Amino acid sequence: MNRYLAGFRLQTALLRRAFGDLHTLLTVPVYTLIFLAMTDGVHRPGLSTDAVLAPALMGLWFMAVFTAGDLIVWDRHHGTLEPTVAAPGSLAPVITGRIGAVTLLSFVVYVESWAVGAGYGLRLTVHHPLVFLAGVVATAFATACTAAMIATLLVLPRNAQIYQNSVSWPLFLLSGIIVPISALPDWLRPLSRLSFLYWSAGLLRSALGTHPVDDALLRLTAVVLLGTVGAGAAAFLLRKVLTRLRVLGTLGYS
Amino acid sequence: MNAIQTRALRRVFTAGRDKRGKSGSRTALDGVDLSIPPGEVHGLLGPNGAGKTTLCKILSTVLVPTSGSASVMGHDVVTGLAAVRPLVGCVFGGDRGLYGRLSGRKNLAYWAALYGVPRRLIDGRTTTLLDRFGLAGRADERVETYSRGMKQRLHLARGLVHNPPVLLLDEPTTGMDPVSAMDFRRLIGELRNEGRTVLVTTHDMAEAEAVCDRVTLVNDGRILHSASPQELSALVSRYGRVEARNVPDTLTQRVRILPGVTRVATDTDGVTRIELASADAAPPVLRLLIERGVTDLATCRPGLEEVYLHLIADRGMEVGR
Ligand SMILES: Nc1ncnc2c1ncn2[C@@H]1O[C@H](COP(=O)(O)OP(=O)(O)OP(=O)(O)O)[C@@H](O)[C@H]1O
Ligand SMILES: [Mg+2]
Repeated sequence: MNRYLAGFRLQTALLRRAFGDLHTLLTVPVYTLIFLAMTDGVHRPGLSTDAVLAPALMGLWFMAVFTAGDLIVWDRHHGTLEPTVAAPGSLAPVITGRIGAVTLLSFVVYVESWAVGAGYGLRLTVHHPLVFLAGVVATAFATACTAAMIATLLVLPRNAQIYQNSVSWPLFLLSGIIVPISALPDWLRPLSRLSFLYWSAGLLRSALGTHPVDDALLRLTAVVLLGTVGAGAAAFLLRKVLTRLRVLGTLGYS
Repeated sequence: MNAIQTRALRRVFTAGRDKRGKSGSRTALDGVDLSIPPGEVHGLLGPNGAGKTTLCKILSTVLVPTSGSASVMGHDVVTGLAAVRPLVGCVFGGDRGLYGRLSGRKNLAYWAALYGVPRRLIDGRTTTLLDRFGLAGRADERVETYSRGMKQRLHLARGLVHNPPVLLLDEPTTGMDPVSAMDFRRLIGELRNEGRTVLVTTHDMAEAEAVCDRVTLVNDGRILHSASPQELSALVSRYGRVEARNVPDTLTQRVRILPGVTRVATDTDGVTRIELASADAAPPVLRLLIERGVTDLATCRPGLEEVYLHLIADRGMEVGR
């Protein structure tokens, strides 16, 4: 718990001093405007939910991948990974705490996209507030866990940064937040089920709708489960990666 | 039990491919046996690339040995990782290794938390350390605005944040001004009085002599010699020399046959180098030169590199690779 807190406090302090890292948050209103304009959301209520929800979820994901995904790589390049690893105890809770701080801050994406929607004259009502709240929390959890996995995957390859973008858009497509899943080729559709974002988006969309929410618990479970798988993979990979770096002697990266 | 113990410690780096596409490997440590008893301040001296940092990294568990073993307070650095880490404080100097955007205080507080210092103690501990290292006045400024020497002091403070019994200091005085370097010597004295074991690497023979109980000379991943500072300074004066300008040829001939003179050579700039085999060889040489009116002269302590060369030559080892 202490190590988790140490990570959380470190990242909070770092974020407070680096607004540059938060540029992703600035893109959310822009995306929201684009989506609203493209879908003519105001006059097609069926799509307005998506036009607001999609940029929020995208912003959440980008924050996780670009800010949290970089943590270990950044530490390695700046020589801070070595002393962190030399400290007793596991690195995983420290990283989790740091990503937690990023994710918590990322909640502001919902406010942003909602505000832009409202400015556009859009009235969104959360018809199922409990489901929505649970969905938002579960989504944050799954996003943080998946970001932890990506943070670990980005350590070994050089020029890892280019992957950050190239994994994001396919994920958005698969999750049906930009275009409906039905627009994807048949053979791709089953893959959607493996993306937590697919379940998240579906659940939040339902929570905003007037109809009763089907299978709320099942879908929540899917989000949490996929998040947990990500967290497990992250912990496993982190151990492997650290051992590898200690053997290669490139923990300090000079 | 030794505080630090290595046996036949070897570390090989497989370097990336070179220009010709050959992938080579480099032996950074080549069978190092080192024993440091608790409470000793031990100096590790060696030229660039000798393997000093590599040894420190292995002892701090961030690097795995290729073969052989190393232990800290009886715990193996590979199999007893979890036991070793809380015992060791490491200071890898330089500009890196700190969060530049955060203040010195925030940096220290983070590392304290990471090293498991209880939360209620963190504030007091960081303040004390910032004071001790003369950073109190700048404690709340961003580290990226610190000078190199100040960063170095922050590194030292971090090494002590969890009060470890064993300290590894890798070139702790790089970037420090002479006053700070003197403060550093006092600090080492304090650490010794507190009963800590210190392994300190340096290029500076005088610094090693001043602060260490024992000094080990390393070169090319091997230990050349382990000695007390007294033995070391005897060694140094043994390889002392006299340099003089405008020495006439006839005088050179006479100096050459004085006892303890091993070599006399005059270079193109007119500087005559007289190498001596013992400390007592110097006075007669100086006397003779002064009597004959040579006033532009100096006695020189050999640099570290010279001592190595002598030691290597004495042992019939090959220099370089
Ligand atoms: N990560 C690495 N990959 C490849 N070779 C390495 C690596 N780290 C060190 N070496 C090599 O190992 C040898 C020993 O290096 P080391 O850094 O231990 O020397 P050092 O005694 O600390 O030198 P200096 O006085 O310059 O700090 C050098 O030849 C160096 O090039
Ligand atoms: Mg070094």
